Amino acid sequence: MFSRRLKNLDYNFLLVIGLILVMNLLVLSSAAAATHEGALYYVKRQALWIVLGLIAAGFITFSFDYSKLHQWHHAIYGTMVVMLVAVLIPVIGHMAKGAQRSIDFGAFVLQPSELAKIMIIICFASYLSRRQGEVQHLKDLVPCFLYFAVPFGLIFKQPDLGTSLVFIVIFFGMLYLAGARPSLLLKIIGGCLGVIALALALHFSPLHMPLPLKDYQISRLTVFLDPYSDPTRDGYHIIQSLVAIGSGGLWGKGLYRGTQVQLNFLPEPHTDFIFSVIGEELGFLGAGILLILYYNLITRTLSMAFKSRDSFGRLIIGGIICMWLFHILENIGMTVGIMPITGIPLPFMSYGGSFMLTNMIAVGLVLNVYLRHELMLF
Amino acid sequence: MYKGNIEVRKRITFLFFIIFVIFILFGVRLVWLQLVQGTWYQQQAIQNRISEITVDPKRGDIFDRNGNVLATSISADAVYAIPAEVKRSNQAPQIAHSLAAILGLPESDILKSITQEQRSVWLKLKLDPNQAQALRQSRLPGIGIISKPQRYYPKKNLAAHVLGIAGDYNQGLEGIETAYDKELSGISGRLLVENDAAGREIPESSRQFIEPEQGLSVVLTIDQNIQYFAERELDKVVQERHPKSATMIIMDPNTGEILAMANRPDFDPNEYKKYPQSARRNAAISNSYEPGSTFKIVTLGAALEENLVSKNDRFYCPGFIIVADRKIHCWLDGGHGSESLEEVVQNSCNPGFITIGLREGLQTFYKYLDAFGFGSQLGIDLPGEAEGIIVNQKEATQVDLATMSIGQANSVTPLQLVTAMSAVANGGKLMRPHLVKELRNSQGEVVKRFEPQVIRQVLSADTAREEGALLQRVVDYGTGSNARIAGYTVAGKTGTGQKPSPGGGYSDTDHVLSFLGFAPVEQPRLVALVVIDTPQGYPQFGGVIAAPVFQAAVSDSLRYLRVPVRYLPSGITPNDQMTVVPPVINLPLQDAQKALSQAGLTWEISGQGPIVMDQTPVDGVKVTRGSKVLLSLDESGKAPSGDRIVPNLQGKSLRDTAEVLAAMNLQLLPEGGQFPTGRATWQDPPAGTKVSAGAQVKVKFEPPLPLTSGP
Repeated sequence: MFSRRLKNLDYNFLLVIGLILVMNLLVLSSAAAATHEGALYYVKRQALWIVLGLIAAGFITFSFDYSKLHQWHHAIYGTMVVMLVAVLIPVIGHMAKGAQRSIDFGAFVLQPSELAKIMIIICFASYLSRRQGEVQHLKDLVPCFLYFAVPFGLIFKQPDLGTSLVFIVIFFGMLYLAGARPSLLLKIIGGCLGVIALALALHFSPLHMPLPLKDYQISRLTVFLDPYSDPTRDGYHIIQSLVAIGSGGLWGKGLYRGTQVQLNFLPEPHTDFIFSVIGEELGFLGAGILLILYYNLITRTLSMAFKSRDSFGRLIIGGIICMWLFHILENIGMTVGIMPITGIPLPFMSYGGSFMLTNMIAVGLVLNVYLRHELMLF
Repeated sequence: MYKGNIEVRKRITFLFFIIFVIFILFGVRLVWLQLVQGTWYQQQAIQNRISEITVDPKRGDIFDRNGNVLATSISADAVYAIPAEVKRSNQAPQIAHSLAAILGLPESDILKSITQEQRSVWLKLKLDPNQAQALRQSRLPGIGIISKPQRYYPKKNLAAHVLGIAGDYNQGLEGIETAYDKELSGISGRLLVENDAAGREIPESSRQFIEPEQGLSVVLTIDQNIQYFAERELDKVVQERHPKSATMIIMDPNTGEILAMANRPDFDPNEYKKYPQSARRNAAISNSYEPGSTFKIVTLGAALEENLVSKNDRFYCPGFIIVADRKIHCWLDGGHGSESLEEVVQNSCNPGFITIGLREGLQTFYKYLDAFGFGSQLGIDLPGEAEGIIVNQKEATQVDLATMSIGQANSVTPLQLVTAMSAVANGGKLMRPHLVKELRNSQGEVVKRFEPQVIRQVLSADTAREEGALLQRVVDYGTGSNARIAGYTVAGKTGTGQKPSPGGGYSDTDHVLSFLGFAPVEQPRLVALVVIDTPQGYPQFGGVIAAPVFQAAVSDSLRYLRVPVRYLPSGITPNDQMTVVPPVINLPLQDAQKALSQAGLTWEISGQGPIVMDQTPVDGVKVTRGSKVLLSLDESGKAPSGDRIVPNLQGKSLRDTAEVLAAMNLQLLPEGGQFPTGRATWQDPPAGTKVSAGAQVKVKFEPPLPLTSGP
């Protein structure tokens, strides 16, 4: 039984993740070199999280059948809401850079919003698969909105705009994969965008209508269109990232030898802007290889969704794909200046324990679903 | 398996396609950034981390033709204030008070400066060492001292109008400093330093230093000794006659090189701000004035060249001449009567010259006016050259022609006159006047040499010689007798121009007196013009006031240049008082002294050695009994380099001292006021000191103490 399951493992998928992780530790050792704590500190901690993550992934892959998750979805949803409420409580939540996003456990810092992404995927997949095909009308979608609105609102409150956006993408992506009519989804999305546009217009009009977003968030979202309009403040990140990537050229300046990174011009080189480090030090070749690896990761995962035995499994994998895809496109897009800066990290590359753990759990879930796809075949 | 499954699988397939497209787009974006725009971003990355510090080049020096420094750059302390820091200290009034005491500037001005809205303010440049020291000790908040290269003119007022000035930021503002600003300035160097994002210098990073290109040095055609002679004589005439202004130009007629150009009033370029703008005006090139009789050299030259006059022509001067409806007077009441051409010239007779001018006619006269360079710039390498004002040829009448012939109606610059006279002196070539001989780099290598330039041939060589001979008569027998120089032939022309009065017509009291001449006539070495504007006192004739200035300066210059003495005009000194200088070169000193004693001469010794290497004047020259002959005992006079032994100058007059030191190729730095008088009482280095050629000798002159006191 177990050996047959091992045979069912997608080794290509594992190889891609393995290669990304190797690249991660290598690049992190350079990207973190210019930080206050030094490269070793971050590489050691990241390696530890990778190991913990792999253990978690293995455990999740093999220890239960994902259909059991149907029974646990209330507990999971409840835990998620408790965590997200807890982080907002001043005594528990840890304040950093103007946002309250994490809980400090001493040895490590947990970011509930990271784990919440997986939890909502599981819960929503369960919710949708139990209402198979009943997402054709707007009235069917209202409960879905409410189901999502609770964790979304809590994360938005932290504030964590990036993760909030991930939630939105997961929400619509999963609805799409659950069979919702694309025209309906497009209408909703269009309607939302219209409301946002109107709100922005009112905000910047003489009426100064208050927005739930802070002004710095708005200007960070729009500055990528013309970073040189404010080169020393809001445009600084994008400009330095573009200079780093652009100056890397074809071959790159060599690991540990990127001037933008090592001389601290590039902000957040080990987390949000790690792709810029690759672009500068490993050049077009390194960045291109990483893009190909991510492409493989996404398409392998997508084909596993295709093969999954039921809609629950397919929706779990689909949600994870939405999450990864948005993280990858938004993060890399931000570093190359075609997406607004939202500060969401690059899966398997950016430094961060909760984030690595979340993605590893996602890997475990994908494999758990995939291992059991043959059972559906008659 | 519900039907939706197939639909969902279609959607997944569609996603494959979307994802593929998106990743391709990202790949394209990377190609654009890294491959297409890579070079631009690489430059951005360099700009990010490399900061540039400009390193000022050293401004080139200005030398006279013999390599004596006339302008150089030295590091001088300058004090600045940072108003923001002053403000923060809350002690602005106290700081202003302390600064005022140290710098000797008005306290209110300082307070204003140190509290104004600026990042930094210069309070004073070129501090003297005591001030800098006091400021450093006082440690005033917001006040700093920094070393700044500053222009320094070691000879102070000497040749100030030629040198011009460089401003506080070493930028040329006037004179040669402006004309050759680009060459003198050099090119800034850069120090490239690698910085991190916080602006900290990277310790192990390579600093790249692009050396500044030092400014080129300018070697002038000016000879500081000749310049000194000219200025000394101008000072003398200024002291005696208090004119509004005075100008002298000395030129080498063969090359167009200006050897001296001096004006009074003058200024010290080190402290030019203390002088009025008018004192900084280089009248020699920028003033136009009615030249009067000196201009007759043009009238005469044209007539000779066109064969309109000959030696045998006779002229008659009844004291006036009537042209059209105008009666123009001769300067001599009653007139000169019947005259030969020679007499017309030596008498500077107005009716005579008007007659000559009328013979030429307007067309010919204007042709020579143009040819001699009047009415246009000569192109000297100084800013601010005037063109002069010439009566419009189309409107000119016979009366205009008559007055122009005797130097009225037209305005010309001193430079134009001296250049025209050079053409007469050098065989008819109008030379381009210039002030710069060479440009040298910081290693002293010649980068550019300015060769003499002939603008045009104005007169034939024969005509020029003929005119020179006529003009020599002016000095030998005529109005220019005060310009006679013992030992040399001098040709020249006096000028006593009336000044146009503000109400129209000419003033009766204000004159521009001038003398324009050259020497020696056979082989002219120097052309000089003296212009004295509105002197006080009587008499007011160019021959009386300007000619002696010419005489003194040119005579000293000729001797300084060791122009061989060949000729002595007869009739100056009775022959029994004259003696002939014997040849003493190559004789042992004692034999030489014996020979001079026998000839009734005294001697002056320069240098050390047993043998006379050179003598001044040369043998065969007739000089007054008791004159000094300068004996050089070493090669100094001939060889410009090598060691010199400083002679004992005690008790010598300024002129004797200058002569001795010039002969030894040593520089005289006279002390004792602007017009040193009396005898040398102190010298540095002391007699017997070994110095190298060109070294400076400071000599203090003091008036002799009165032997008796009381009434």
